[in-house]
Amino acid sequence: MNQQKPTPDRYGRSSTGLKYPKTPTWCPGCGNYGIWGAIKLGIKGTGYPPEKFVLVYDVGCSSNMADFNHHYGFHALHGRALPAAAGIKLANHDLKVLVVIGDGGCYGEGGTHFLNLMRGNHDITVLVHNNHRYSLTTGQMSPTTDKGTKTKSTPEGSIDEPLNPISLSLSNHATFIARQFAGDIPKLASRITEALNHSGFALIDILQPCPVFNPNQSYEWYRENMVDLETEGHAQNDKLNVWKQAMRKDKIPIGLFWKEEKAAYHQQIAQLDSSPLATQAIDNIDISPLASEFK
Amino acid sequence: MEKQSLNWKVAGFAGEGIMTTGILFSKTCARHGLYIFDYTEYPSLIRGGHNTYQVYADTNPVHSQRKKVDILIALNKNSLSFHQDELTQNSLVIYDQEDDKVNIKEFALPCKSFNLPMVKLAKVAGAERVMGNNVALGASIFLLGLNLEILNQVISDIFSKKGNQVVSLNQQAAKAGYEFAKIHSQPILTAVNNKPHNYLTLTGNESIGLGAVAGGVKLYTAYPMTPSSSILHYLAAKAKKSNIVVKHAEDEIGAINMALGSSFTGARSMVGTSGGGLCYMTEAFGLSGIAEIPLVVVDAMRPGPALGMPTWTAQGDLQFVLTASQDEFPRIVMAPGDVFEAFDLTRRALELAEKYQTIVILLTDKYLSESRHTLKLDNESFNNQRIGFSNNPKPDESGFFPRYQDSENGVSSRSVPGSLGGTYIANSYEHDNYGFATEVADIRNSQVEKRARKLTAMAAEIPEQFYIKENNAALTFISFGSTKGPLLATKHLLKDAGININILNLSWMWPFPKDQVTKVIKESSKPVVIEGNQQGQLARLITQETGIIINDKLNRYDGRPFYPEDIASYVRKIVK
Repeated sequence: MNQQKPTPDRYGRSSTGLKYPKTPTWCPGCGNYGIWGAIKLGIKGTGYPPEKFVLVYDVGCSSNMADFNHHYGFHALHGRALPAAAGIKLANHDLKVLVVIGDGGCYGEGGTHFLNLMRGNHDITVLVHNNHRYSLTTGQMSPTTDKGTKTKSTPEGSIDEPLNPISLSLSNHATFIARQFAGDIPKLASRITEALNHSGFALIDILQPCPVFNPNQSYEWYRENMVDLETEGHAQNDKLNVWKQAMRKDKIPIGLFWKEEKAAYHQQIAQLDSSPLATQAIDNIDISPLASEFK
Repeated sequence: MEKQSLNWKVAGFAGEGIMTTGILFSKTCARHGLYIFDYTEYPSLIRGGHNTYQVYADTNPVHSQRKKVDILIALNKNSLSFHQDELTQNSLVIYDQEDDKVNIKEFALPCKSFNLPMVKLAKVAGAERVMGNNVALGASIFLLGLNLEILNQVISDIFSKKGNQVVSLNQQAAKAGYEFAKIHSQPILTAVNNKPHNYLTLTGNESIGLGAVAGGVKLYTAYPMTPSSSILHYLAAKAKKSNIVVKHAEDEIGAINMALGSSFTGARSMVGTSGGGLCYMTEAFGLSGIAEIPLVVVDAMRPGPALGMPTWTAQGDLQFVLTASQDEFPRIVMAPGDVFEAFDLTRRALELAEKYQTIVILLTDKYLSESRHTLKLDNESFNNQRIGFSNNPKPDESGFFPRYQDSENGVSSRSVPGSLGGTYIANSYEHDNYGFATEVADIRNSQVEKRARKLTAMAAEIPEQFYIKENNAALTFISFGSTKGPLLATKHLLKDAGININILNLSWMWPFPKDQVTKVIKESSKPVVIEGNQQGQLARLITQETGIIINDKLNRYDGRPFYPEDIASYVRKIVK
């Protein structure tokens, strides 16, 4: 075997010099720093034991956060964080499940999971780090990129209209829908706590500046263009009003758009009433009640 | 006891209740103490195509369908012309001249026919048109010397949920057929006299479902795809009773990633699909491999590529499942050969997936998945031990649990979320002992080598493969999965003609049972590889693993299963 001292990788890690969790690898000014801080505060805000959280990460700059936290983690395949999260909750509903995902993974690659798992009201909190770009792959257009935007994959300007996650989830049975800004850690943190305490599918679309691949939508630009739903006298129980806010073009509304109390997916399965699947004993299984119908 | 068998077939338009009629007859035979093999053919549509159900029943154990029928119930004109090569001079064709305006002479049948006014008799009995099938059942019972009371009991068991009226009408229709046959015909077989047994008769997919429950499955996820869907249907119907959760997911990708999430928490998890769905799932195979998450995947094969022929059979996914995924990782691939192996290997697959923290693929096919067969279970209660969990996980100086620490056999101790001190990351990226992503060359190498080491331990689990050897055998058939049944039936056919054959049927495809296969080939005068694909995938695998090239091959890829009669004539040609 090689007796040389192993060289550390670009994160300063080596097989002999381990140091955890890691220091973030995001670019200076990245919106992920703020979201990261808000996640830690938001989790703390629930008062729930740290080991009972699972953070499910998709793939992208946001999801490289897997290496920077001290919680059970599941670093999923690209676009597949949502079904993995739903499976975790279904198998052990004593856990709180938080998904860290980007606009590409959630609204693009994993779009079908997003559409369908919200309908089931799976009790997971989905934080979409929405920077309107595929930044880890160096800045191609994403499902939320404005029409006409020039990116590496759309040098003539993108032709597709941007996806509106708020109106989409409003019309498709999500029970907690919010949009927050990565640059306001306390507000985002308390929203994350609220979402984690909500029983059902909670979406927080987070406006995340990417100074490298999307410099136009900067912190300043967002601050100028955002409007807080709280200052607008937003009526959450009036779906038509929520719809109007969701469809606004003049400003970007942030805050809690919609919240509804409904039984979560796992709460509607009788087999889960007594205890989570993962803790149910399998050491004494009698199949004779099932076998009799084949006689 | 005298050996006695019967081969009964009903054919008609899809949507005419052929399946129910077949099951009623099959259950009646089983309750006479007979061993059963039911084979069905149907098109990929809901109404109108040609649909058949055939029951082969015998006083001795049976292994496959047979070609030549004793009774054919032809519910329409197509059924009179499509099955002529299955008739002998001793066969009897039952048809309804009045209902389908049949001129029986046009069909030039090689055997006797019996005009049974099924629809009319059903209506006279006060029943609906579709209950004409029961008239045919009643007549079959008389003509085969069976007991009408047993049929009545089966009708009652199957239809009791629909109320007494439905039960009674079905029974009256059956009685009308029985009485009509008694007046106008005579039995073609003498009364069956077998000791009633207490065995089960079920499809391969039901057996997989039952085996999954026995093996402690807690979550089953799937997206419907023929011929795997009946596992989903069976487990969904039994979920409440057996305290499991079944999720019809948004697609196959959702299904497998959901199952991996579930398995990560410690719940035994399983998915099922067919070739097309399996293609969607392959990315997640790699996730199971690298994050070392146990998972059982059922692939019920049908002819491909792409959509192929949905309701027919094939063994063409073998080479695909051996390596499907990015890069390499150790996996187990099994191919049950009959309903017993379907039950037993599913249970075992759940255990081995947990033990080796990887994917176990169960390869079945439409023929095994949807044929009904007698299953003798010695035991109906199962004690599943949990394997590889750290009950009291402790973090090391890093503050994290070394979930992927190297070990002699490559398997490391697992913690599950919720347990204090067990924090780690299940990572789809290459990772270190704690699951943190890494690109450091020596960590990468040690994790690759750790995972690969599991393969050696897995190979030690391979049981002795099914092998029947005789002196002076004309040849040795080497097969896998469901071909076992037709080969066993062939053996019986040839025995009567004084020809012996050897059979080596593989149910463990990977790690490959190379020692036994090598030994069998070396001691065989003439090995022949028989399989349900065109390219000879098993033959290629044998060459890859043993270095031996076998030139004699018997391949079938038209969607139909092997018939013992066809294999027997292949052997006769060679023996000449």
